[in-house]
Amino acid sequence: MSDELQSLDPYVQWIASEARRPVAVDPAARRRLLEAIHAEPLPRRESRALRWVLRPRAIVLPPLATAALAAGLVAFGVLGGMAINRDGRRPTDQRHAEDASSRLPVSLMPRAVKFELVAPKAARVSLVGDFNGWDTAATPMTSQGADGTWTVFVPLQPGLHTYSFVIDGTHFLADPSAPVAPDDGYGHQSSVVVVRGSAS
Amino acid sequence: MSALRRTIGPLTLLLASAASAAAQDSVLPARELDPLARLNVATRYSVEVMLDSAKMLGLPTRVLESTALEGIAKRADGRRIVTQVRLVFRSLRDARAALGLSASTDELTAAAGALRVGITNAELSYLARTRHEKQLTVPLVVLADLVTRGVPRDTASQTIFQLWQRGAADDDFLGLWRGVERDIVSGTAPGVALLNRAREIPTRGSPPAAPPAAPGARPERSENPNL
Repeated sequence: MSDELQSLDPYVQWIASEARRPVAVDPAARRRLLEAIHAEPLPRRESRALRWVLRPRAIVLPPLATAALAAGLVAFGVLGGMAINRDGRRPTDQRHAEDASSRLPVSLMPRAVKFELVAPKAARVSLVGDFNGWDTAATPMTSQGADGTWTVFVPLQPGLHTYSFVIDGTHFLADPSAPVAPDDGYGHQSSVVVVRGSAS
Repeated sequence: MSALRRTIGPLTLLLASAASAAAQDSVLPARELDPLARLNVATRYSVEVMLDSAKMLGLPTRVLESTALEGIAKRADGRRIVTQVRLVFRSLRDARAALGLSASTDELTAAAGALRVGITNAELSYLARTRHEKQLTVPLVVLADLVTRGVPRDTASQTIFQLWQRGAADDDFLGLWRGVERDIVSGTAPGVALLNRAREIPTRGSPPAAPPAAPGARPERSENPNL
């Protein structure tokens, strides 16, 4: 202890001696410290390309180019939506498969087929069938004169079709002038028409 | 200010285009875009499973879809629709097995209808073996109609098969149907009406040779003495 320290207050001398006392270090501490440092991931260095992509910048386009780009995006969305059904399923190629396997149609050109029903008391009559998705509003029939004859011409592909008349929107009636379809299980009879191909 | 104008113009155009597209989409009825959308979820799932199965088997799915849509139009409940689509699916599968892979969509549909009125697979196979490139659609449609109108099944099938073997054409079968239908409306018993009208149809060409009997095949039919 130096003379300078000996001249100081004993409390200060104690503090000074404590400060000068070498610290006892755990021999494994350095190893643990290095291991902890190695365990830390190295900071990722952003590539120049990434920095270029992420850097905000202003793109200036003339109004015509912007409109064309917007129209293109909308068209892409609309066409994409048409190609894919709403529930995400793509439409099947069933039509092609059926046409390929079918030997009946000599000509696939639709033929106008006349449907006729005498229903004098009906306020409105429509035609439903596999050709219009059994949609009661799709094919209304028109009344000809006062005798209550309702008619409609429908272009049909050659082949077998099942159909029915709907009177006043609720009553289903099989065509009395056509063969009946086997029981539909729904409590109403339907009819069958076979449209022939051009050469049959 | 000019930057604001440049931004607002195209943005307005984009929004207008999107709104126009959305409006066009909403104008189309949902039934046209997806006819089965009118089914509830459970019914639709069951129907689509059968549609997929039919597609895998090469069966005409249009008939099954039409059956489901017919049920919707006739306000049948979902369970009834599924039952009926399943029935048609099975009959199409059996018809394919009876008629073979060469059968057309219309022949399969007509044969499936015939099966549903009680015609057997063996009878269909018999008819298919004697087809000689002729279409089975009209005879099967007429056969199903006759049974539906009350002609005894055996009488109807036997008569149609004999006319078929005699070379009757589609017009013959349709003429037969019209005559029988008129007679039934006039009060004649359906079976009698059929036998009477069948006599009027001339033989067209020589009957086709009987097919060789295959194991398990239907035995050769005896001639209907009433014809």
